[in-house]
Amino acid sequence: MFVIPIFIEAGITGFESPAAEYVELGISIDELIIKHPNATFIGIASGQSMQEVGIFDGDLLVIDRAEDVSTGDIIVASYNGSFVCKIIDKSQRLLISASKDYKSVYISNDDDFKLEGVVTASIRLHRNKAEVNRCLPS
Amino acid sequence: MFALVDAVAFYASAEKVFDPSIRFKPVVVLTNNDGCICAICPIARKLNIPKFEPYFKIRPYLEQHNVVVRSSNYELYADLSERMMTVINRFCDDHYVYSIDESFLRFTGFSKIIDDWADYGHIIRRAVWRETGLPVGVGFGTTPTLAKAANHAAKKLSGYNGVAVIHDDISRQEVLMRMDVTDVWGIGSRLGRKLKVMGIKSAWDLANQNPKEMRRMFSVVVERTVSELNGIACLSWDEVKQNKKEIYSTRSFGERVSELNTLKSALVTHAAIVGRKLRKQQSLAKRLVIFAASSPHEDLYYKKSLLYDFPIPTSDTSVIASAVSDVIDDIYKANTRFYRCGIGAIELESELFQQADMFSVSKDNPEVMACLDAINKRYGVGTLSLGSEKLTKSWSMKRAFLSPHYTTRWSDIPIIDCD
Repeated sequence: MFVIPIFIEAGITGFESPAAEYVELGISIDELIIKHPNATFIGIASGQSMQEVGIFDGDLLVIDRAEDVSTGDIIVASYNGSFVCKIIDKSQRLLISASKDYKSVYISNDDDFKLEGVVTASIRLHRNKAEVNRCLPS
Repeated sequence: MFALVDAVAFYASAEKVFDPSIRFKPVVVLTNNDGCICAICPIARKLNIPKFEPYFKIRPYLEQHNVVVRSSNYELYADLSERMMTVINRFCDDHYVYSIDESFLRFTGFSKIIDDWADYGHIIRRAVWRETGLPVGVGFGTTPTLAKAANHAAKKLSGYNGVAVIHDDISRQEVLMRMDVTDVWGIGSRLGRKLKVMGIKSAWDLANQNPKEMRRMFSVVVERTVSELNGIACLSWDEVKQNKKEIYSTRSFGERVSELNTLKSALVTHAAIVGRKLRKQQSLAKRLVIFAASSPHEDLYYKKSLLYDFPIPTSDTSVIASAVSDVIDDIYKANTRFYRCGIGAIELESELFQQADMFSVSKDNPEVMACLDAINKRYGVGTLSLGSEKLTKSWSMKRAFLSPHYTTRWSDIPIIDCD
């Protein structure tokens, strides 16, 4: 949604605010982290394998389908029936975890695999997560 | 040049976007209250599942073939539809959204920029697929009807792979000859049967009829269709989306209803929907049909349908609702398990050309209705409603196989596996 900032001025009887001429829209988180609104969706991370790049269990992931993917990007793919978040190596066809405790996965021709999008941002809520956490398996 | 872009089995495809576990499985989507099958994905299509078949009848067959069944997730479809339309909008400055999953494009002055329409179609197709995860078919034609025919070819006929172009007589003949006459835009199944009796079986047969003769035998609409099939554009956007000549609101109940007040509140809710739609297209209802019925699949089938004439045509929700109160006792029958009910405004007049009546005064209150519509538009349908709509809420929609609202609810966003 695009909002044109026009503020109500009628009824001001005293001093007009000296800042009135300088009013801008408040900053928006969406504007900062969503480049292609129609191609972007939000998911929730479940698991530990991406902690080394700062994605923790329960973090929100902003996934952009319109971004070009190159080797080394953190991506979300559908892999044999579920969404996974990994680092992609396109030339070697590998899905790499950030954590050393997890092995890389080779994408074979028998796998159902599709790149869904690039993780352009991840968000950690430090409070008020009840609503969001409801979608995680307990 | 015109194009029609629409999604392949939109509801079923939308279900697959955020659920990778069903992408390679047969998927069907059910209508309101899980009544009938309304969308069948291409994989399920191979199982010859008939469309609009009551779900309970075909259920054993679906289970036998492990078909994934979903209720209509309108929240998800509306969001994906908007995304899809916004992507398509990038490719043409004259864009007309025709339905939740179809849009027309009109290309004026593009011939110098685009020399290969099929190529352009594939670019559109890839962009929508990549950015929304929805598969679409693109049909180009020199008229809207030919664009629709090309779209049919793109999706249903072999050898087109999602994009078809009708730009000359050869491509036109190739598509129309392989197309059943009932697949032509605007030719319904009833009209199609008549045409077939006359030996007009394919779209190509229809294209070769004399338009004037078609007008004499059927209507001006068929005449235009014939001209359009011959590359003469007759339809403009306004005509593509004409005001509806009838407005219906009907629904089957989530659970059977036997109580008078519940039936009444359901009918009043339909009255409100009909009223809203009338006002939106600036029409007034002269005559209503109000009906309620039990299930034809159960014993003691009961159906009652009454006509109601307004002395003065109306679009006021409370006036339409009072018609419900007038007839409810005649429609209701005790000890009946009502399965569906509804209201149709079957004779409409334009709000703009009203003959005033000397003896009766309109009870419509346009200011109140405008206020109601404005509030519901701003804060969502149902924010403000008639008291009698809210008598009970037990008749709301049944959606037993509903998928999460992946894009519109925080509690429903997809889980991304990081293990």
